[in-house]
Amino acid sequence: MGRFLAITRTAAIETMSQPLSAILFPVAMLAVHLLPALQYHRFGAPGRLARETGLSALFVFGLLFAVPAAARAIGRELETGTAAAALALGVSRPLYLSARIAGVLSVFALFFVGVFSATALSSFSCAKAAEIFTAEGVTRVWGPAFAVGVSGALMAFAGAAFLNRFMNRRFCMWTCLLATGLQLPGLALLESAEPVAAALPAFGALAAAGGVYVVMAGALATRLKDNGVAACVVAAVAAGFLSPVRCLVPDMRAFWLAEGDMSATMPIAAGLCLMALWLLVGCVSLERKELE
Amino acid sequence: MVETVIELKGVEKTFRDFWMRPLAQAVRGLDLEVRRGDVFGLIGPNGSGKSTTIKMVLGLIRPTRGTVRLFGLDPRAKAARTRLGYLPELSHLHPFLTAEETVLYYAGLSGMKRAAARARTAELLEELKLSHVRRRTVGGFSKGMARRVAIAAALVASPELLILDEPTSGLDPIGTREVKELVGRLAAGGMTVLLTSHQLFDVQDICNRVAVVSAGRQVGGGVVADIVAAARDKRHALEEYFEERLNAQKDEQ
Ligand SMILES: Nc1ncnc2c1ncn2[C@@H]1O[C@H](COP(=O)(O)OP(=O)(O)O)[C@@H](O)[C@H]1O
Ligand SMILES: [Mg+2]
Repeated sequence: MGRFLAITRTAAIETMSQPLSAILFPVAMLAVHLLPALQYHRFGAPGRLARETGLSALFVFGLLFAVPAAARAIGRELETGTAAAALALGVSRPLYLSARIAGVLSVFALFFVGVFSATALSSFSCAKAAEIFTAEGVTRVWGPAFAVGVSGALMAFAGAAFLNRFMNRRFCMWTCLLATGLQLPGLALLESAEPVAAALPAFGALAAAGGVYVVMAGALATRLKDNGVAACVVAAVAAGFLSPVRCLVPDMRAFWLAEGDMSATMPIAAGLCLMALWLLVGCVSLERKELE
Repeated sequence: MVETVIELKGVEKTFRDFWMRPLAQAVRGLDLEVRRGDVFGLIGPNGSGKSTTIKMVLGLIRPTRGTVRLFGLDPRAKAARTRLGYLPELSHLHPFLTAEETVLYYAGLSGMKRAAARARTAELLEELKLSHVRRRTVGGFSKGMARRVAIAAALVASPELLILDEPTSGLDPIGTREVKELVGRLAAGGMTVLLTSHQLFDVQDICNRVAVVSAGRQVGGGVVADIVAAARDKRHALEEYFEERLNAQKDEQ
């Protein structure tokens, strides 16, 4: 267990230390707050616009950083011999692969928490904006949520810069941590659990699909180079949208149609099964590989 | 009691390409035995199969033919590799970790307890003259500094068997001497060491036994003290022996 955690932790630090993560984390949260505000004239169903923005952010930004990160976390290690150095010390190959992938998955989970919190607040803020429109006849954002959400995303940079300058902490990693952490206080502005409950099923299902792509990328990286992995995952996503090959890749058709009544149990269960399947594929592939 | 730590019998390794066509015959029938307490030097020209041999000993690649035993076990068995320290030929480290975190990471991989790992890490960083840069990320280190970090990482768990693939590559003369002295001290403390090197002068100083390999075959070897005793120029005894063995092999062909 200690070994697993050591590897997971290192992979997570590495993933968050990529400059790309430090940009995508705050920008994704910012997008969730800003994009619905640009389109307030469309608040037919209060909050739905914000939820869809949040789902898109989770999907696009999440995959943009998590899939390459997983490919790199496995592929580059095998290529440079860093993996060999670890495996020579009595770490088994399946443990090594699972722990590295778990490291990337934990960062993806962090990203999920941030985007989800931002979405809950943003969708509540949209509903408030609709109330303002009904009462005053003007379109404007609901100040408190907007201020907390946007400043939370921006303060991540400032906070990380402060920690880096005065306490020698990793800038990129702390940007990711703060971007997520600073979205949490916004949840206190919610007057009920409704925005959370409305967003959770589609988010849970989409996160499960994202998790599958991450594990798939890690598994494929035992054999393919970064570009090959990216191409395969893109193909898997496309296959999920077009005609799902349900036993291998997540079915992507349901998420964008999902509103409050969608049940996430099935997609999440299917996602967990697919993750296990792809992890197994990765373990078998690595077990048979010659680490030259 | 003499215990065999590493044993290779008739080991061959052929690298193949994607279509299974042979690319290179890296090792062509090698028998080796490293016993407990040995400081064993595997010497040979570039491309003679030294690193390939080490990777087979570590279970990273499988021999095409022959058997490899590590502590009497198949090197692929986890139990065989828990008492190891390994310094790869090219020590690529996690660029975002600091020197201290890197060594602690490898301590964690070896299953060390946190407190013991911290104490040992501090000690090693001091010994390898890295204390002043322990908080800096290794991505920005010079080759020699990165090499020292990798050496510290290989030593942190106080392994029974230390495998060093060209330990002094990238080090300056003083660094080379320090590493040599460090290995000497560890060996005196009872650690078994297998190392490869081109620096025959250094090998002569720290190894008690050597094997000379060329093009994947063993062409000589023995106890270093005997080789030195038989040599005309004692200071360059191993170099003399090495050249003599390689020439003898060329003549045979
Ligand atoms: N992954 C590989 N694929 C193909 N050939 C390889 C591979 N690794 C090593 N070789 C070949 O095997 C031979 C021995 O290499 P190596 O063991 O690295 O030599 P040394 O460490 O003694 O310098 C060389 O000819 C090298 O080109
Ligand atoms: Mg070599």
